Amino acid sequence: MIVGKQKPLPEIREMIADYGNILILGCGTCTTVCFAGGEREVDILASSLGIAAKLDGKERVISKHTVKRQCEWEFLDGIEEKIRNADAILSLGCGVGVQAIAERFPETPVLPGLDTLFMGMPVEEGIWAERCSGCGNCILDQTGGICPITRCSKGLVNGPCGGYRDGKCEVDPTRDCAWIQIYERLKKMGRLDMLYIPQPLKDHSKGGHPRSITL
Amino acid sequence: MNQNHEESSKSYPRMMSSGSTMQREAQPPCQVTCPIHQDVRGYIAAIAWGEFSEALELIMETNPLPSVCGMICAHPCETKCRRGEVDQPLSIMALKRFAVGHAYHSRPQNQGEFKQGQKVAIIGSGPSGLTAAHDLAKMGYRVTIFEREDAAGGALRSAIPKYRLPREVLQRDIERIMAFNVNIETNSELGRNLTISGLKNQDYRAILVSTGLPLSRGLRIPGIELDGILLALPFLREVNLNRQKIQSGVKVIVIGGGNVAIDVARAALRLGAGVVHMVCLEAREEMPSFPWEVEAALAEGVQIHCSKGPKSILGRNGQVTGLECMGCTAVFDAEGRFNPSFSEEEVSVIDGDMVIIAIGQAADLSFLKDSGIRLNERGQLFLDTDTLATSEEGIFASGEVATGPGSAVEAMASGRKAALSIARYLTGKPLAMLPPQETELGELSSQIINKIKKLDRQQMPSLTVEERVQNFAQIELGYNRALAIREARRCLSCGLGTEYIEEECSTCLTCVRICPYGVPIITASGSVDIRVDQCQACGICVNECPAKAVTLKQYQDEEVIQRITTTMANASRSGVRPLIVVFWCSFSAYAIENFAEFVRTKRPSNIGILTIPCVTKIGIIHLLKAFELGADKVFIVGCPEEYCPYNESTFWARRKVDRAKKILDDVGVGAEQLEMFNLPSVDIEQFEEVLVKITQPTKQTQPDPLNR
Repeated sequence: MIVGKQKPLPEIREMIADYGNILILGCGTCTTVCFAGGEREVDILASSLGIAAKLDGKERVISKHTVKRQCEWEFLDGIEEKIRNADAILSLGCGVGVQAIAERFPETPVLPGLDTLFMGMPVEEGIWAERCSGCGNCILDQTGGICPITRCSKGLVNGPCGGYRDGKCEVDPTRDCAWIQIYERLKKMGRLDMLYIPQPLKDHSKGGHPRSITL
Repeated sequence: MNQNHEESSKSYPRMMSSGSTMQREAQPPCQVTCPIHQDVRGYIAAIAWGEFSEALELIMETNPLPSVCGMICAHPCETKCRRGEVDQPLSIMALKRFAVGHAYHSRPQNQGEFKQGQKVAIIGSGPSGLTAAHDLAKMGYRVTIFEREDAAGGALRSAIPKYRLPREVLQRDIERIMAFNVNIETNSELGRNLTISGLKNQDYRAILVSTGLPLSRGLRIPGIELDGILLALPFLREVNLNRQKIQSGVKVIVIGGGNVAIDVARAALRLGAGVVHMVCLEAREEMPSFPWEVEAALAEGVQIHCSKGPKSILGRNGQVTGLECMGCTAVFDAEGRFNPSFSEEEVSVIDGDMVIIAIGQAADLSFLKDSGIRLNERGQLFLDTDTLATSEEGIFASGEVATGPGSAVEAMASGRKAALSIARYLTGKPLAMLPPQETELGELSSQIINKIKKLDRQQMPSLTVEERVQNFAQIELGYNRALAIREARRCLSCGLGTEYIEEECSTCLTCVRICPYGVPIITASGSVDIRVDQCQACGICVNECPAKAVTLKQYQDEEVIQRITTTMANASRSGVRPLIVVFWCSFSAYAIENFAEFVRTKRPSNIGILTIPCVTKIGIIHLLKAFELGADKVFIVGCPEEYCPYNESTFWARRKVDRAKKILDDVGVGAEQLEMFNLPSVDIEQFEEVLVKITQPTKQTQPDPLNR
């Protein structure tokens, strides 16, 4: 899933400074799951901005709504009136959601309340970690199900480099070396032989932007 | 007047249990087991939250004898209480007594309406007759109870000793029932100065016979004609009229092993008997009396001789000198029928000066001779057990005369059933009714049981054994406020925890990960199931769910926000700054004897206090809402972790406070305007000083941040 993090409140306050009537729009899918933009966060942000407006002595109308997924126009169509009535939409969806709103309602300003960070998974309650870069050329079958493109700081496809120490990465010693993890996993699988097959150079043309799929 | 002393009135404990939705849901075992289906968990929640009037109201919705039931109920609910699987069951009867004692009003206003107008006669004013009268009067019928004694109450008055049920308590309940326009004619006895046909002639359209089992069964054994042999019920009646005397030091032998026998034995001790023996056929674990009554009798010094049958009563000069017993090898035969077998080889003699026979009771149906009401081959009333109708149209029977020996609350249930039948009869409806559909909550899983905090059952303050046997003073003194709340918070609120809104759920699995009890599970189809029969109602998942897909049945978010709004409005009326809101755990707040009084009269006008059933139920949004509505400072007062009935409550509350503090810093209010305290119990007692201390401005404080 897509993982994002709410922007710091001061940044959000600056972003909405010019608008008097804000609709905070939550997203009920990925950003709900990563605690950044679900219905509860919409409530908390609305209340926080309400307090801030009062402190700033500003009149501001803050309304709120959460749709199932911001990245589907059909869900947005259901709240067209709310969107059109607002001076600006403060989206708590990911970057895809923000753009979907912008495309569907080109005349309404859409402000990102989140920084969209990565595709990842929760490793424990409240902690998410990146797992996939969407490179378009998956080699997980050959790397023990561990992605070196995402989890190796250098994105090496034939690792490890010589810089690891005690299983940790030289770029960030708090981070596990992805290639040591790949080695351990292949060992468990009895497939260390796979490490003898050199990976061809990464085809970065498959990761060029923007990409699309036509079925 | 509502006992709620918070500024914003609320009614959350009750709204859940009487709503139509709840009726369809599975009920907790305490409620299903209760013969009159008291909303036990509802009134216990109300007590735990300091809502004593609410608790009593809930009790009285289905119980017209709350004072009586608070003292002598057989409380089968406690046997089925699911807390019993964790440590010990809730002390439900004692909590009922507490609610009644703290919230019972003086004599209520006359409440009957006479809308139906038809007259109903009830013969007998025991628990069954009183309940039927209450129910019928509430429906609008004109009810008259005919009681043969000179005061109402039936067996409650004549047979239950005063050390278990003080008479002013009984009288209080009876007066309340009379306030529904129930008329009670005492000294009116069928067969003496009253006849069925006479009642019909007086235009009583329905008659309920609830005359109980007023006759004591005797024994046919050698020596029964001796002096010094009494029957249990006449003995107890005389005791209760203060007319029975026992010479000091006399040795009393009570024959029987039931509750009446225990009452007789303990009463005899109080009258000055030197020694009291109880002889019963049953082995100790087979005795039909309540185990707690047996324990109390033993503690007071009653000597119980089990597995013995009376062979003959021994005497000298026409006076009892003892009881010859033989061994009882089995009470019941192979078919389970009462058919004792004796062993003549195990003969023993118990010395005694007096024998009281308490081996059972029987109905007195002699008054029915000319009424046309049929009896069965065993001489009992011929009854339709579903409708309690007798063979004679318009005449019904309830209580022990209809059902055989039972507890007071069973008699009440029977009276209620008869009242419904009578109402159907009088409105021309078919008497037969479908039995109410009731499903019971599933059992607690052992995994959940192991995770629930063990909290000791609060002991009932009682007279010492030495004090008890001196007189007929009530033994159990009742819970005080602190004990009652400490006991009530042990309730697991079975089935009254979370409500899961599947269509809102984003399947993030947060609840699955954070529940301290492991209640939410992932189903085979990949959705989440917050198992209602396992939920402990702590509320942690409610405020952590990012999709707001979980609510608490007892504690709805909108209502909390409404209470914050009201509290803020009241506190801001004074115009005094800083305006302070305190969220205070009701489990500790209302355990303080003078907390409610303080909130009502001595609380500084700029402080608003909201009680919440544990800090786990506070969400970040509630804290922010208080600031949004104009609070300058917000405090949370929680209990020490070891006092809290829930797991991890402080951890989750602190986490929310930390996040809210960060937000307050970001918006410019200042993190220091929000503080959480976990007051140790010693400080809870000195809460006034604590409140002054925590609400005093600190150096970092910027008063009035929202009103500069």
